[in-house]
Amino acid sequence: MAATAAVVDRARLDTRETNRAIRAAVAQGQSVKVVNPGANHNIGVALQGPVTLTVDGSAGYYCAGMNDGVTIEITGSAGWGVAEGMLSGLVVVRGNAGNSAAASIRGGTVIVHGDCAARAGTGMKGGLLLVGGSVGYMTGFMMQRGAIVICGDAGEALADSMYEGRIFIAGNVASLGNDAVEAEITPEDEKILVDGFKTSGIARPKRLRKIVAGRKLWNFHKHELAFWREAL
Amino acid sequence: MTDIVERTSPIYTPTVIEEIQDKASLGRYRIRGFGTLRSKPLPSLDDLTFLPASLTRIPLEGYRERCITKTILGTKHPEKPVELDIPVMITGMSYGALSRNAKTALAKGAALVGASTTSGDGGMLEAEREHSKTMIVEVLPSRYGYNVHHLRRADAVELTIGQGAKPGTGGLLLGSKISTEIAGIRELPAGVDQRSPARHPDFLGPDDMIIKIEELREATEWKVPIFVKIGATRTFDDVKLAVKCGADVVVVDGMEGGTAASPELLQDHTGIPTLAAIVEARRGLEDVGAFGQVQLIAAGGIRSGVDVAKALALGADACYIGTSALIALNCNAPIYLEDYTALGTRPGHCHHCHTGRCPVGITTQDPALMARLPIDEAAERVASFLLAMTLEVQMIARACGKANVHDLDPEDMRALTMEAAAITRIPLVGTNWYPGQERSSS
Repeated sequence: MAATAAVVDRARLDTRETNRAIRAAVAQGQSVKVVNPGANHNIGVALQGPVTLTVDGSAGYYCAGMNDGVTIEITGSAGWGVAEGMLSGLVVVRGNAGNSAAASIRGGTVIVHGDCAARAGTGMKGGLLLVGGSVGYMTGFMMQRGAIVICGDAGEALADSMYEGRIFIAGNVASLGNDAVEAEITPEDEKILVDGFKTSGIARPKRLRKIVAGRKLWNFHKHELAFWREAL
Repeated sequence: MTDIVERTSPIYTPTVIEEIQDKASLGRYRIRGFGTLRSKPLPSLDDLTFLPASLTRIPLEGYRERCITKTILGTKHPEKPVELDIPVMITGMSYGALSRNAKTALAKGAALVGASTTSGDGGMLEAEREHSKTMIVEVLPSRYGYNVHHLRRADAVELTIGQGAKPGTGGLLLGSKISTEIAGIRELPAGVDQRSPARHPDFLGPDDMIIKIEELREATEWKVPIFVKIGATRTFDDVKLAVKCGADVVVVDGMEGGTAASPELLQDHTGIPTLAAIVEARRGLEDVGAFGQVQLIAAGGIRSGVDVAKALALGADACYIGTSALIALNCNAPIYLEDYTALGTRPGHCHHCHTGRCPVGITTQDPALMARLPIDEAAERVASFLLAMTLEVQMIARACGKANVHDLDPEDMRALTMEAAAITRIPLVGTNWYPGQERSSS
């Protein structure tokens, strides 16, 4: 955090005033520190620019939602939908994240040092979600592109109904979702992993498995009726 | 020679037989476009009639006296409510389901008469934004093309929970329409059968949606209205929940709503008719004291200014049109007949939007077919149709003695059927009674 960072005290401002103050600083190219976030919702929504926002504590739902280019660090935990819809930038959660972390992001990187709850990375369209801990059920559901790296375990239905996303997991998987299959790690994957772990500062597990779509759900084939019975 | 005697089963009609044999071939449910084709009529706006002025009311001069059509939506919170010249709007239809020419023509046509357009389940098409005077950008469960910068250029944001043609399910775009460009916008592999999710990725129920709507307001700096669109099912309760969540405008989409592709069973057997949806929505708004504060848009099978007038009289503030706007573009027009034949249909009956082989260039991504829809000519037809609808609404309003189309109310109408009387609580013609009405002891 640069010495010139603006300080915004969430305890003294409501959500609207907080975001106005953050935006005013960001518009000046000034980094911002939000103190006393109090797990309130919608802190630092729809920010744009090459600046840094630090949320000094825990944030509620949709912190850093729709981010485009800002580096956002949450020193505590984050609620549902952290960084949802992000286009670019970096979001770091030092604690845990609630449901739907990095939902539908189209670019950028989300690092969660702790665990993620259910549906992490659901509908991702690009970017990287790297989780130092474990993830809940339906992580990566309908993931279209991008990558999720999970250093711990995964709940049920991991990687259900994916398109071109890729998931790397070190720990146990309660169950794979529909049309999820294991695949070999490629040199392209390796680059994503090297860059991701370098950015995160999280130690890379010794072994990672890669999960991708089996592509049987991409188009309907009546000769695979048993497969489609659960999915169509 | 033996005479052929045709006796038709009321259970296994030729249509049912065809459907069973189709499914025996396909191994799945049937998918098609357009909207419900069910043979059994639904209770509809046609079941109401207006009571123009005579001796008990004074009419306005039908062809000349001023009759206001200005429509303002989203007055509760935002700095900039949506202001339209007419109470008719173009509903969300995706770029992908529709061709670029169709989307652009709708935008141009709507702008000519002061109506709005809506993005649809495929992100915001730049050409549509460029040519729209007023544009509503949807936030859908799929989040295809979701971009905060598009939201910030919107005149309103519509959080879509469901649609009338297929409530409770997500969108559908078959692989034949997923061109390289459409795949790129949606970040999907080209040629896949794209089945959108039904649930939003980052909220589930109304409690979460309150926070989601606040997020959308923060993203747009509280400047523009937030619409919430629901497929009409449990409309009374859903509308109340939408209001509780903070919607400025609620859109109810009845089961007559169109679609470019949907399982047929959903179009024919899910949801409630638009007539009932408007009535339930109004009751819901009234129940929470929001009628007149939160605006109501009615959608689903709106075909004419008369339909709009009836919807307004029932309590709507504006109507969305979709299919009828496409018909104005040229959908089902008797041209390129050989291509209708190749699809196994003919003009007036085509519902093959899902194939991507639209003979008139509307629901296709094939450049050769799309070229059959010249943008400016098509835009002119849309503008003319919207103008005609507006004149029809004014005609009804003036006849009922109203100088503002928004002053139409249920008392201006009577029900033509027992069903419509029961649904709307508008008296059946020739009586002062509707089914379910408590009789006075006297």
